[in-house]
Amino acid sequence: MTRVRAEHDWLLKYLLLAPALLIIAATLGYPLVQSFWYSLHDWNLSRQPTLGPFVGLANYIGVLTDDPDFWNSVRVTLVFTVASVVITLTMAMLLAVLLAGGGPLEINARTLLVIPFAMSPALLGISWRFLLNPEFGGADWVLKTLIPPLKGQALLAEPSLAMAALVLVDVWHWAPYFMLTFVGALASLPQETVDAAEVDGAGSLRAFFQIVLPQMRPVLAIAILLKTIFSLKMLDQVVTMTGGGPGTSTVTLPYSIYETAFRFFDLGYAAAVAYLLAAVMLVLAVIYSRMVMERAA
Amino acid sequence: MSDSALPPPPAKRVRRRRGLRSSPWRTALIMLVVVVWLAPVAWIFATAFKAPRDVLSLKLFFAPTLHNFAVAFGNPYFLGDRLVNSTIVTVSTLVIALPISTAAAYAFSRFRFPGGAIWPLGVLATQFLPPVIIIIPLFVVFRNLNLLDTKTALVIANMSFVVPYATWMIKGFIDGLPIDMEEAAQIDGSSRLRAIWDVVVPLVLPGIATAAVFCFVVSWNEFFYALVLTRQDTVTLPVSLMSTRTDQGDAWEVMATMGLVIMAPMLVISRLMQRFFVKGITSGGVR
Repeated sequence: MTRVRAEHDWLLKYLLLAPALLIIAATLGYPLVQSFWYSLHDWNLSRQPTLGPFVGLANYIGVLTDDPDFWNSVRVTLVFTVASVVITLTMAMLLAVLLAGGGPLEINARTLLVIPFAMSPALLGISWRFLLNPEFGGADWVLKTLIPPLKGQALLAEPSLAMAALVLVDVWHWAPYFMLTFVGALASLPQETVDAAEVDGAGSLRAFFQIVLPQMRPVLAIAILLKTIFSLKMLDQVVTMTGGGPGTSTVTLPYSIYETAFRFFDLGYAAAVAYLLAAVMLVLAVIYSRMVMERAA
Repeated sequence: MSDSALPPPPAKRVRRRRGLRSSPWRTALIMLVVVVWLAPVAWIFATAFKAPRDVLSLKLFFAPTLHNFAVAFGNPYFLGDRLVNSTIVTVSTLVIALPISTAAAYAFSRFRFPGGAIWPLGVLATQFLPPVIIIIPLFVVFRNLNLLDTKTALVIANMSFVVPYATWMIKGFIDGLPIDMEEAAQIDGSSRLRAIWDVVVPLVLPGIATAAVFCFVVSWNEFFYALVLTRQDTVTLPVSLMSTRTDQGDAWEVMATMGLVIMAPMLVISRLMQRFFVKGITSGGVR
């Protein structure tokens, strides 16, 4: 390649990249830096239109040492995340084993199951608020018929049941998505290992746990990581379904940040809490990037 | 991230599943799962066609009516305006983001950068941060520029997630293309840009289509940014759902009608999604 050509390509490389870089810098880079800058200030937008006084790490110290609401949200977020990750992925794996075939029944079933995943999370939350309504909600009636002790309860008015409902809806939404990724992973397993298990006379359950599952480990690891990130971010369903209630029993961290920022307009404090949450997610994102790089290499 | 997410040849499958294939129990179980999973959607869709008094009962049979659509499209819900807003914002987002992402994907795929794949992956990783962290400064900027409650603000905000995902997805496809054909075109005298347009873009169209489906679904359904950035004039479909919660209680039948309108394009493309969506969020990740 001639020198002129190389220089031409160098120009082309940055020319092709420039628009995307500009957009990313403006819509991601700038907000990330600016949020951090806000978090170092005492700034309530409803009191003053421009950035308030610099307070250093006071917001962070306040959040960590003197904010019971923050710790409540941490607990709520953890409960939701653990429950939704475990149940979603277990359900997804069961569905994948059931629906992994190439016949028309399986393919059509998979296509239909994607529909709840295609629902806007906002629609998801508000629909289930309707479905779980104690007077005429269809899902409420079904649940109470199957689980009689629930009778007489308003599911979304009881703290632990409201959390359970939030998890239920999340599982309903996400399990089909991870089912599809697991179906893809199952299909790419080497056939011999599966055959060998059958020849050995291992029961299908044993074959699954001893042969199939270990080979799925890399996919499972990434799925767990991704679902954890998605659960930590989950916000829309809280806004549309529970509004954080009853009381503060479903106020997740993203929801509490949203309220602090856009109901009370305490932008500095909200940004500080957001950065604490982001720090956790950044660690997960780095682990995810490493895993993807390793698989690509 | 090539084609391992696509369904493998059926012959292989038949062999693997032979023990269970013909079992009527398994068929029944699959049908049961589908019915249970879709019953909530069916209930919502049915509600869209119910008269308000039928909404308040658990009857399975009712006289269907289109009255709710008249209500939803009229005052004070203005579903028609919301539909137009959502369509304009989503289409603008895609029209701007896809060419830009394709160009960036090509650059990331074909040129060397110090650090290699860390750059596109780093861009993707920003999507794992809580969205509030992005929207607080954007809200302040749009407020200062008097852009709150405009479609421009929504399209700009949508760029923050569409461009990273689309770039990453399309890059995966370009990575899978052999470089020989572009080089051949260049030896024949085309400029590199010409070679990209004539050779790469047509070959990578399935990848662009995949990214387009994914970005359409995400933009169309986007709720949180629109909730923060809109007030009145540019409310999108998902945000309009909030208006069915009034002081007099919830207008469930209107909510269901709006839900049906929001879902309609998803139902049309659900077949495509089964094939494409797997690659979406986890493209290159889960495979």
